[in-house]
Amino acid sequence: MQKSEQTDALIAQCLDELKGIAHFRYTYKYSETAPEFLKSAPYAEYLKGSSGLFIAVMTLGAEADAKIKLYSRTDAAKAIVFDACASAYLEYLSDEYENGLGDNLSYRFCVGYGGSDIADLRYIFDIVKPEKIGVTLTSANYMLPSKSMAGIVAVGNGAEKSCKNCVIATHCEYLKRGEKCYR
Amino acid sequence: MLPLNGVIVFDGGMGSELEKLGFTGSPEDLNIDRPEVIQAIHRSYSCADCIMTNTFGLNAIKYKGKYTIKELALKAVENARAAGKKVFFDIGPTGAMLQPLGTLSFDEAYSAFAEVVEITKDIVDGYVAETFSDLYEIKACILAIKEHSDKPVFATMTFDSSGRTLTGSTPELVANTLEGLGVDALGVNCSAGPKELEGVVMRLLKCSSVPVMVKPNRGLPVLKDGKTQYTLDIEEFDCYIKKFIANGVAIVGGCCGTTPEFIERISKYSGRKIKRRKVERATVINSATKLVNIDGVKICGERLNPTGKKKLKEALLNGDYDYLIDEAVSQAEAGADILDLNVGLPQLDEKKVMAEACKKIQEYVDLPLQIDSSDREAVEAGVRYYNGIPLINSVNGDGEVMDAIFPIAKKYGAVVLGLTMDKNGVPKTAKERFLIAERIVKRAEEYGISRNKIMIDTLVVTASAEQKLVKETVEALRLVKKLGVKTALGVSNVSFGLPNRGLLNKTFLTMAMTCGLNMPIMNPLDGEMVGAVKAFAVLSGEDINAEKYIGIFKDYAGAASALKPAETEHIAAANLYDCIKKGIKSQAAHLCKTELEEKDAMTVVNDILIAALQEVGRLYDEGTLYLPQLVASAEAAKCAFEVVTEKLPKGAAKKQKVMLATVKGDVHDIGKNIVKVVLQSYGYEVADLGKDVPPESVAEGYIKHKPDVIGLSALMTTTVKSMEETIRILRENGCDCPVFAGGAVLNEDIAKKISADYYTKDALGFVKVLEKLK
Repeated sequence: MQKSEQTDALIAQCLDELKGIAHFRYTYKYSETAPEFLKSAPYAEYLKGSSGLFIAVMTLGAEADAKIKLYSRTDAAKAIVFDACASAYLEYLSDEYENGLGDNLSYRFCVGYGGSDIADLRYIFDIVKPEKIGVTLTSANYMLPSKSMAGIVAVGNGAEKSCKNCVIATHCEYLKRGEKCYR
Repeated sequence: MLPLNGVIVFDGGMGSELEKLGFTGSPEDLNIDRPEVIQAIHRSYSCADCIMTNTFGLNAIKYKGKYTIKELALKAVENARAAGKKVFFDIGPTGAMLQPLGTLSFDEAYSAFAEVVEITKDIVDGYVAETFSDLYEIKACILAIKEHSDKPVFATMTFDSSGRTLTGSTPELVANTLEGLGVDALGVNCSAGPKELEGVVMRLLKCSSVPVMVKPNRGLPVLKDGKTQYTLDIEEFDCYIKKFIANGVAIVGGCCGTTPEFIERISKYSGRKIKRRKVERATVINSATKLVNIDGVKICGERLNPTGKKKLKEALLNGDYDYLIDEAVSQAEAGADILDLNVGLPQLDEKKVMAEACKKIQEYVDLPLQIDSSDREAVEAGVRYYNGIPLINSVNGDGEVMDAIFPIAKKYGAVVLGLTMDKNGVPKTAKERFLIAERIVKRAEEYGISRNKIMIDTLVVTASAEQKLVKETVEALRLVKKLGVKTALGVSNVSFGLPNRGLLNKTFLTMAMTCGLNMPIMNPLDGEMVGAVKAFAVLSGEDINAEKYIGIFKDYAGAASALKPAETEHIAAANLYDCIKKGIKSQAAHLCKTELEEKDAMTVVNDILIAALQEVGRLYDEGTLYLPQLVASAEAAKCAFEVVTEKLPKGAAKKQKVMLATVKGDVHDIGKNIVKVVLQSYGYEVADLGKDVPPESVAEGYIKHKPDVIGLSALMTTTVKSMEETIRILRENGCDCPVFAGGAVLNEDIAKKISADYYTKDALGFVKVLEKLK
């Protein structure tokens, strides 16, 4: 891909705006044993050898959605960049937050990874009750605000990220080039 | 309102007590499964004055257990009665996000709340709507309670560490809305510990005229030995509650983590004298996230009114809310503080359109609205579905009009604009207009509406027709200020029929502001008028140290600077082709006009616009351009297309009409929006039905818009079903036009399976197929 100054400037601008408006919130329950729905693949594989797990939900809040909506009206190109930046920013803030949760934490395994069923979100919502951080679930199992994630974090098993669990593995631009999006 | 004789103490945590006893599942079911446990917890709180039922999650949307709502509600009240104290029915949120952020409608939320109130209205002592984080949802809840019961209503929301609710409302905004809706007490619960909530509590005390209620958690939870634990001790909790009461809090209790010992300790405050507070009564309106205090001068944008506006009229008649939204957004960006909304056209169902327009505009613009209609039902529809406290435009000195509108204003807490006229028309003199204003204020007070909720418009006459009366309008402003009300004027009316209207408008605006005008209803896109308001704020001392003025005009370099390109336009395009290719929207219209000076319109379309788009498409397909660049080009082309269309012979550039919708259940519509922009850039006419559109509405849209092609989008596996259903219903309704399916989870196979005619993987693919279909 060519470098695009316009897009780079837009990314910088969007990240800057996000820092001002996003209200990052993270909530979790810690458990030493995995609840029933996590005892089958692909979760079981991810949790193998762990001494406990965090079941967590995190969000950037409703403000980011409102901005995306506004830009979709006034500047569609910016809306797309803002949407992507918001997703990346949520990942980044969640990683940072998890760094403070303790040592020996594995990477975050979200519902949807490795072919897991998004209906599993229901179990997570029953356990974590993320309504208290303003995250809700629609009847089609879609989380709102849209910049929200739900998943598990294994403790003490050193589970490592792998492209095979990724939701976009079949059409990933990085993979096509033989690269990875993570270290 | 409920008369409080002294401080009231409520009970403490229920969920945390159950957790301590090892109960995990549905707390609501325990009302029937283990009544003895629930009753024992209620009894342990009998030191409190009031007990709340164990019904936090009991509403038809949230509760998915084995009993009926009625069985549980009745049993829960019976259980709470075991403590021998007053019983308040606890209502928590639905756990679903309301539209427009989510999929739950206001009416659905309202019905769920109304159901539990209807069951319990005769057996409880009051209601507590608690732990709400969305202002719109708590409004639905309060209306449901008040429309089904005459028992006291206490309403509390949760705030985060930034001092806002989870949907971004400040304490001042929450207080203005809840007080407007007529609750008996308002406040904060859950959220965090008393220490973290202190700021919110103090702010609520400053602005709420009704009693303030505080039920904090037992501090912030900490993770200890793998368990969430609350660690704040009783001493500290008590210390804060004492401080809150000393500052005027009237109702206290505990939320998560607080135990009977905590409530026992604070029960000593029961009956204590409530400290009187002095609350300034300002004229304040608000949306869900923006509060506007109508003090100094605030601009009300006048452009959402079809009178004399052909395009808006057409848009309203066609149900084209996009046009309304664009008008709203542009006024907000130009500096309006409030937007007037009028949808009065004889051919329209004004009630329905007002409610819909209100919802749509609020989705994109956070400015408070002024609901402008002479139809009582349309006013009520607008005010009811409005998220916040709006202005109503208007009443006048006619008793019948006031009797129709004041009950609505009172019920929903709206501010009302009163026009100084009556059945006999607009009086000539300032004195007579003042007398009508006085009559309006008095009648409002009979309805329990205080003066801060009334604004007066002394009515502008046209200088060309009634030159001598212009000064009466201004003089009347000065007089009505003595009534302690804020004022408004539709200033642009003054210049009808005269040349250089802008100059007259600006001069009149300045005259009126000097005499106490608070809210000019005007065109915010007129930079000179907005400039006059900003300058007046400096000269009248409102804009302290001219900070806002300097912020706006710091780069001002004389009249020529108005033509200077904005900051985002630093990239220059050599010509229209280059401009489309680079995606510079702001220069597209101007460059298109330049091209049209030398070339005919059709040549501009084919040789420049389409050619540039095809080149951009090629670069995107080969992976040289990113998606945002493709979309920026499409937007630029769209702007140019609008210019060129005016020059084309009618029908010359006519392409197929495409109707787009994101199917029911899907609220993420960025993909559909990209398709829309790209289609428009190629000159296709697009009817956009929006997101989360039920199959029946898509069928209705087909009948109304008569499209040549339909595009449906779905993001998730769960919503592909709803796409299939949509196609089925379309066919049943005789739709024989091609249906395109797209979205993250779709592919050729799935599209075929659900009977779609075409699958395209992206916006460009859509265009390519369309071009072939011609």
